[in-house]
Amino acid sequence: MSGAEPEALLVSASGVCELNRRNQQLIPSFQRPASRVLIHHAADYQRELATIILESLKEFHLPVRGKTVLLKPNLVGLDPLGIMNTHPAVIAATRESFLLLGAAEVFIGDGPAMDRDTESILESVKLKEFTGPLANVFRDLNLDDVARVPLPTRASRLKELYLPKTVLGVDFLVSLAKLKTHHWAGVTLSLKNMFGIVPGGCYGWPKNVLHWAGIDNSILDINAAARPDFAIIDGIVGMEGNGPIQGTPKPAGVLIFGDDPVAVDATACRVMGLKPEKVKYLARAGTLLGNLEVAKIQEIGERVETVRNSFSVLEKFCELTM
Amino acid sequence: MPIAMTDAATDEASFVKDFCVPFLVSAQNVDGGWGYHPAAESRVEPTCWALRALTNVPLAVSKECLRRGWQFLRYEQLEDGSWPSSRGQKTGSWVTSLACGILSHAPESEASVSAGLKWLCDDYPRDSSPWRRFLGHFRTGPPISEQDDSYRGWGWTPRTSSWVEPSSFAILALQECPVEWRPATASQRCELAVGLLYDRMCPDGGWNCGNPRVYGVDGEPLVLPTAWALLALHDQPAHDRKSKSMAWLQKSVATIHGPASLAIARITLEAYGLKLPETTQKLRNLFDAREFLRTTEVVSWTCLALSPKRCWFPLAECAN
Repeated sequence: MSGAEPEALLVSASGVCELNRRNQQLIPSFQRPASRVLIHHAADYQRELATIILESLKEFHLPVRGKTVLLKPNLVGLDPLGIMNTHPAVIAATRESFLLLGAAEVFIGDGPAMDRDTESILESVKLKEFTGPLANVFRDLNLDDVARVPLPTRASRLKELYLPKTVLGVDFLVSLAKLKTHHWAGVTLSLKNMFGIVPGGCYGWPKNVLHWAGIDNSILDINAAARPDFAIIDGIVGMEGNGPIQGTPKPAGVLIFGDDPVAVDATACRVMGLKPEKVKYLARAGTLLGNLEVAKIQEIGERVETVRNSFSVLEKFCELTM
Repeated sequence: MPIAMTDAATDEASFVKDFCVPFLVSAQNVDGGWGYHPAAESRVEPTCWALRALTNVPLAVSKECLRRGWQFLRYEQLEDGSWPSSRGQKTGSWVTSLACGILSHAPESEASVSAGLKWLCDDYPRDSSPWRRFLGHFRTGPPISEQDDSYRGWGWTPRTSSWVEPSSFAILALQECPVEWRPATASQRCELAVGLLYDRMCPDGGWNCGNPRVYGVDGEPLVLPTAWALLALHDQPAHDRKSKSMAWLQKSVATIHGPASLAIARITLEAYGLKLPETTQKLRNLFDAREFLRTTEVVSWTCLALSPKRCWFPLAECAN
């Protein structure tokens, strides 16, 4: 079934989402084949961005023809300088690329965590100037209709989450994250970016219930319940230090792509000069959700060593540094 | 459709009559509630805002429309007196404050609202529990944030942390409901929550969600939390922190990008006696320029901001 409208989701009388294509099987790491991660150098948000993204996506032969795709960028707050959110040029170029690859529809959706005025956030980053009219393109996941999703991992104390039907109903979900440090989790990349699908309309601004359930374990639960089919990290300009909002801009000049979000995040950590196995949630994700070890990640494009750019971290995360 | 403008007041009234009210009336679902968007599933929060807007316009809104709205809210109330943020959830949330506030104006609602207020006053955030404060004495290393945990407000969801917006909504609900419907602990809870709001104010005025300073770095205030906090503090005695935050909000109006923030900022500033007629056109322009996030609560807030009645919460005297 392709191109399903969120409204077409089948929800049982008990409210449990029965058509949850995102809810994928948890495969033990020893049974998983190697993951492919592509690193591409990109000096800035101007030149050849659309070409870089399209050519990079083509390397993965993604099954998106005729499908409905949702891009989930990292939109955390008002950002007129373009340093804390996924850059709008990356969002627009990615959307264009998926359309060129034959996707029937490509939506953009996020549920900002700290400010419910999503429209102000979108205006502050000037997203419309890059993508064109957003009326039928952008979905505010904070205010979407929701369905109950039992959590297969039960890594945190949460047994279930109410998640947006837009997320649960699309054929292909893309985490379009930013390369940043995070003052509680260590790093925020494609897995942590999925916090944004948890609807503020159910859990508030911020989604504090996840903090009480444990950030690291909540990240696992959310990604097990709604696993991204693909991950892209905007590391052209990242953020170091006291991220994800109050850190310092860090030009890193890379875009990172892959169909295993754990492998993408592990590679991103290595690009940042950090040890992924020391990031709590990533270490556990490596046993449940994807590949973490270098031996199980096939690098294509640039080598990590050639683009490594050490990010500073808060003192409490100094053990993450290589 | 262009609206002939004679003056700001006429323009406001016609926008309310010709756009806001028809939008809200037509967005009501068969079950009596409203979703966040037209045709979306009914939820408690947008239903509360739509009802508040429709009961505060100087127009004859169908009694049947309002009756079905009240009925939806009563039906959604959980056995413990709280309201869930979405259907199917078994625990209450911050929308309990919104439901109590607006239901207090509906006929035959005393039992329902009293139960909701009791749930609110019995729900204490876990972050400031005596046990956690005791454990805090043994914490090593620099504090994550600098805040006084002896204050207690309300969280978005039960047994979590106090935050600025749900604390403000609860204060407003307790102020709005008749005194005899409030639990005995209401005054004490409000007092603690008012203290919390002042404690969580950003150093240069205004509020964000409730983190004024994290890891030694000052947080940036945001329009909506600032406005809700100021509305909740409206009846409190003059305080230099309130003045500082009012100044921040007033200064911010010029740079607001979205109708949600602009409508609530305008309501707040007018509640404090600052008229902003120039924002009428700006608000309309924002609606004309962008329609993709036109949600029930944004239209409701705009309706409240522009309604000639100017009767938002119990804190402001109605013009009519």
